[in-house]
Amino acid sequence: MADFERLQAAVEAGDRGTAVEITQAAIDEGIPPLEILDPMTEAMGVIGDRFSRQEIFVPEMLISARAMKGAVALLEPLLIGSGHKPDKVAVLGTIKGDLHDIGKNLVAMMLKGANFQIVDLGTNTTAEEFLKAAREHSADVIGCSALLTTTMGNMRDVTAAVAGADDLPDLRVIIGGAPVTLEFALDIGADGWAPDAASAVHVATAVVETARGERDIEGVVHPEALAAVTA
Amino acid sequence: MRLQLILCDMLMLPAERLAAESPHEIIVSDLSASLHVEPLPLRDRIQEHIDRIEAEDHEVDAILLGYGLCGGATAGLVSKRVPLVLPRAHDCVTIFLGSRDRYQLEQESTPGTYWFTEDNVKRGNAFMGALLGSSERSDGVKATYDEYVEKYGKENADYLMEALGEWQQHYSRGAFLETGFAPDDVALERARVETESRGWRFETVLSDMGLIKRLLDGEWNDAFLVVQPGETLVMSYDDDVIKAVPVQAAGT
Repeated sequence: MADFERLQAAVEAGDRGTAVEITQAAIDEGIPPLEILDPMTEAMGVIGDRFSRQEIFVPEMLISARAMKGAVALLEPLLIGSGHKPDKVAVLGTIKGDLHDIGKNLVAMMLKGANFQIVDLGTNTTAEEFLKAAREHSADVIGCSALLTTTMGNMRDVTAAVAGADDLPDLRVIIGGAPVTLEFALDIGADGWAPDAASAVHVATAVVETARGERDIEGVVHPEALAAVTA
Repeated sequence: MRLQLILCDMLMLPAERLAAESPHEIIVSDLSASLHVEPLPLRDRIQEHIDRIEAEDHEVDAILLGYGLCGGATAGLVSKRVPLVLPRAHDCVTIFLGSRDRYQLEQESTPGTYWFTEDNVKRGNAFMGALLGSSERSDGVKATYDEYVEKYGKENADYLMEALGEWQQHYSRGAFLETGFAPDDVALERARVETESRGWRFETVLSDMGLIKRLLDGEWNDAFLVVQPGETLVMSYDDDVIKAVPVQAAGT
C-alpha cells in the first residue's frame, strides 16, 4: 500500500527521489492519479504557509516544488488519459524591462500544483504579449511580476490594456514581486496582489472563482480577504 | 550648514572626495551595500543612524541620505527634528549616472545590465548573497554551494545554483561605472573578468557626479526630496519615484 504520509513528507523535504519512487509504486498499485496528487498538493500548501510565516525561504520552496514536479511528471500522462485537465488558465510573465524570474517561476510551479494550466511567457513581457496569449489560451488570469522599482510602473500598461479589452470581460490581473505593494496594486487597478508565491495561489484562485461567480470577493485581494478564501 | 551624510558604501569613494569640496561641514557615515540583500534590515539600520544623529548631534541642520528608493528599503524612514534629504532615484545607479532620465535610457536600451563600481568591486560586494553564479566563480558563491550541499544534498544544491543563477542567462552586459576620481585598473579588470566569465558584453560607462555633488553642496532642486520632521518617505509610483507624506497618512 502506497505510503502517502511519506510522499507528503518527501515533497515537503524536497526529496525528489523518494517522491518519484512512491508515486511510481502508487501508480503500479493502480491508485487513481488524482488520489496520488492529493498528498503532494497538501505538501505544497504546508510549504507555502511555512514560507509565508518566514519559517523557510526560497531554496526550500524551490526544492519542494522540484520534488513535486518530478512526481507529477509521472502522473501527467495518466491524468490526460483519464480526461482530467486543469480548470483554470494563468498567463505568467515578468513585466517589460524586468529580467528576474525566480519568483515568477516559483508562482508557476505552485499554480501548476493547484491545478492551473500555465502559459509562461518568460521575462520582459509587454502588455500586448500578455493579451495575445490570454486570448489564444482563453486565460482566466494574467500574473505579472517585477523585481525592480524601475520596471514595476510598466504593470500599469497591462491593467489598462485588460480594462480596455471589451472582448475579455472576465480576464483578471494579479501582480506581485519584491517591491510591489498592495497600495500600488490598488493604484493601477489590479484585481489581485500577493506578497509571496504561496499567497499567489490563493489570490489567483480567489480572483478567478469570483469572476466565475463561484465566490464573492470583490476588489483587490489582500491578506485579510485571503482569510475568507482559505477558511 | 552642518550636514550629516548616511550613505551606502557603494558611493563611498566619490562621496568622500565631493564632501571635502562642499561649502558645508559634512560628517560621513557609511553602511555596507551587502545589507541590500534584505531591504528591511537596511531600513532599520538607516533609521537607527538617523535616530542616533538626532539624539547626539544638536547642531545638525539636515541629514543627507546617499540612497535612492533601493527596492523599497528607504520607504518608511522618518525624522523627528531635522529634514532628511535624498535624490529622487530608484537606486545608486541613478546617482552614478547623474539623472533619472539617463538611467531610464540605459534601462530601455539594455535592461539586462549588471552595474559595477570601484567600491562594490573592491569591497567584494559585486556579486553578493542572492546573486549567485556557478560555484566555480566569485568569492562567496562556493561557500553558498557547500552550505546547500550540506543542507539539501548535492542534487538539490546543483539545481538551486542553476535556478538561482538563471537570471544571468537573461543579462547581456556588465558595465563599469567610471568616476574619474581614482582610475583603478584592478577593479576594472576584475569587473571585466566577472562579466566575460558570464558571457556578457563588457563596457565602461562614464559617471556624472552632478547629483551627489548637488546633494552635498546643499543645492536641493526638484531632483531631490526633502522629508520634513513629522513626514515619512513613501514610493510615489510615478516619475518622481518617492514622495513625503504626513506620518499618520502613511499609517505608520
